[in-house]
Amino acid sequence: MKGARWLVPPGFIVAALLLWEAAVRALHVPAYLLPAPSAILASMDAALFGHFATTLGEALAGFFLASSLAFLAALAFVRSPTLERGLFPLAVTLKTTPLVAIAPLLVLWLGTGWASKVAAAALICFFPVLVNAVRGLKAADLDYRELFRTMNASPGQEFRKLRIPFALPYLYSALKVSSSLAIVGAIVGEFVGATKGLGYLIVLSSSHLETDVLFSAIFAAALAGIAVFQVLGWVERRAVFWQEAQAE
Amino acid sequence: MASADEAAPCIELEALSLRFGALKVLEGLSLTVREREFVSLLGPSGCGKSTLLRAMAGLVAPSGGAVRVCGRDPREGTQGLQLSFMFQKPLLLPWRTTLENVLLPLEIALGGNRASPLDEAKAQRILRRVRLEGFESAYPRELSGGMQQRVALARALVSDPEILLLDEPFGALDELTRDALNEELVRLWLDPQAPLKAVVMVTHSLHEALAMSDRVFVLGARPAGLRETVEVPLAHPRRPESAEFIRLQGRLRALVREPA
Ligand SMILES: Nc1ncnc2c1ncn2[C@@H]1O[C@H](COP(=O)(O)OP(=O)(O)O)[C@@H](O)[C@H]1O
Ligand SMILES: [Mg+2]
Repeated sequence: MKGARWLVPPGFIVAALLLWEAAVRALHVPAYLLPAPSAILASMDAALFGHFATTLGEALAGFFLASSLAFLAALAFVRSPTLERGLFPLAVTLKTTPLVAIAPLLVLWLGTGWASKVAAAALICFFPVLVNAVRGLKAADLDYRELFRTMNASPGQEFRKLRIPFALPYLYSALKVSSSLAIVGAIVGEFVGATKGLGYLIVLSSSHLETDVLFSAIFAAALAGIAVFQVLGWVERRAVFWQEAQAE
Repeated sequence: MASADEAAPCIELEALSLRFGALKVLEGLSLTVREREFVSLLGPSGCGKSTLLRAMAGLVAPSGGAVRVCGRDPREGTQGLQLSFMFQKPLLLPWRTTLENVLLPLEIALGGNRASPLDEAKAQRILRRVRLEGFESAYPRELSGGMQQRVALARALVSDPEILLLDEPFGALDELTRDALNEELVRLWLDPQAPLKAVVMVTHSLHEALAMSDRVFVLGARPAGLRETVEVPLAHPRRPESAEFIRLQGRLRALVREPA
């Protein structure tokens, strides 16, 4: 029984799907309102996989781009308090502007291709990583920094051997959250103007009342979000082996 | 050490004053630690002992007076000055094993490169001295508080310091371990091979101060000045049951208890 505990969540999902299937059949719910899971499954094809891969690719590109830039910005902020005082409030303001409001502008500037989606994904990832990386890079106590000073460590050594490792737990919890936000960003970008991707498929299928395709796109988006979160969680447990995540 | 009077000064504090904002911590404090001298700082909790030690290491700036270590101001960098500081807390890096923690000062001295096998052998030797053989690849969270403190001692010793500043190094340890480590430290101090020139140890224990040091500086309440210097003219190994040891202990106890 103990060894089979991991079977519990999938068990519930299967049960819910079976119930759904039975209810739709028994109550004769029209397929354009709520298709049966079997119909949704039947609508999943190679084209869906193509859209899934497009969105995942855009999201990951935006995620890596934003995470690297945010980390570099955090390093600059921590080394230069003037820069931080000047730019941090701007960053916070940008962060509170909803992406849906900016996405049309991105499409206008970067076109309906992949670039505007990568930018949307990057925009949504950037701030959580920046904020947590700054917090993490400051997390090493004064005591530790004094220890490094008594060892005559250079500022660069202090960053490499003290501050960056101290920042990793903060950084990884932000990366985990950002990775699934990146999927959201890419999809929002595709809503505004695209010729492929899950966001495009969602808009298209809903306007054609192809609700089974709509559902399969929703499931694919959820799967992408869960998958990137799990992968990041796996990497985190190995990279930050010495402690539990401490920031959210 | 017997002929301390003639020895050159190693750490000099001249009319040192130090405040944090409105809080005066040290005021007009003058003392000299000579070469080949092991001294202890004794005083009420919160009187400024840690602050004094941090001033010697150049970690805090005095608001008045001067600090000189080997004739230099430690605020202007301690490069080339082999100074090790052991803090009240172990301050181990949790992502490094025992051995890697001990190697840290050597890596930093090498400009951040990995330590050589020779350095590793040296670190292993010091870990044996502090009785941590077999724990080289343990992470700090797997060690008890006392063991962590011993790793911190090993880390302080690995760079062959000339000046060793110890802030209540063994306060968290049980008495047996504490005695054993005190003995080890005295052995290191007496070792003619060791480059140690001066040791300054903050302690709460009269016994520890008398067992190890050549002189004991007794500080008064905040703002702390030097209240009394007690010479300890006893040869090592010291016997705590000897009449002279007991007499000195009584004298120190009276000094520490007496209101300022
Ligand atoms: N960085 C600091 N900023 C402000 N106050 C401090 C700082 N460091 C120590 N103090 C204060 O200075 C006083 C002396 O502290 P400390 O030197 O740690 O005493 P001790 O080690 O003798 O117990 C205490 O009242 C402490 O709160
Ligand atoms: Mg203290």
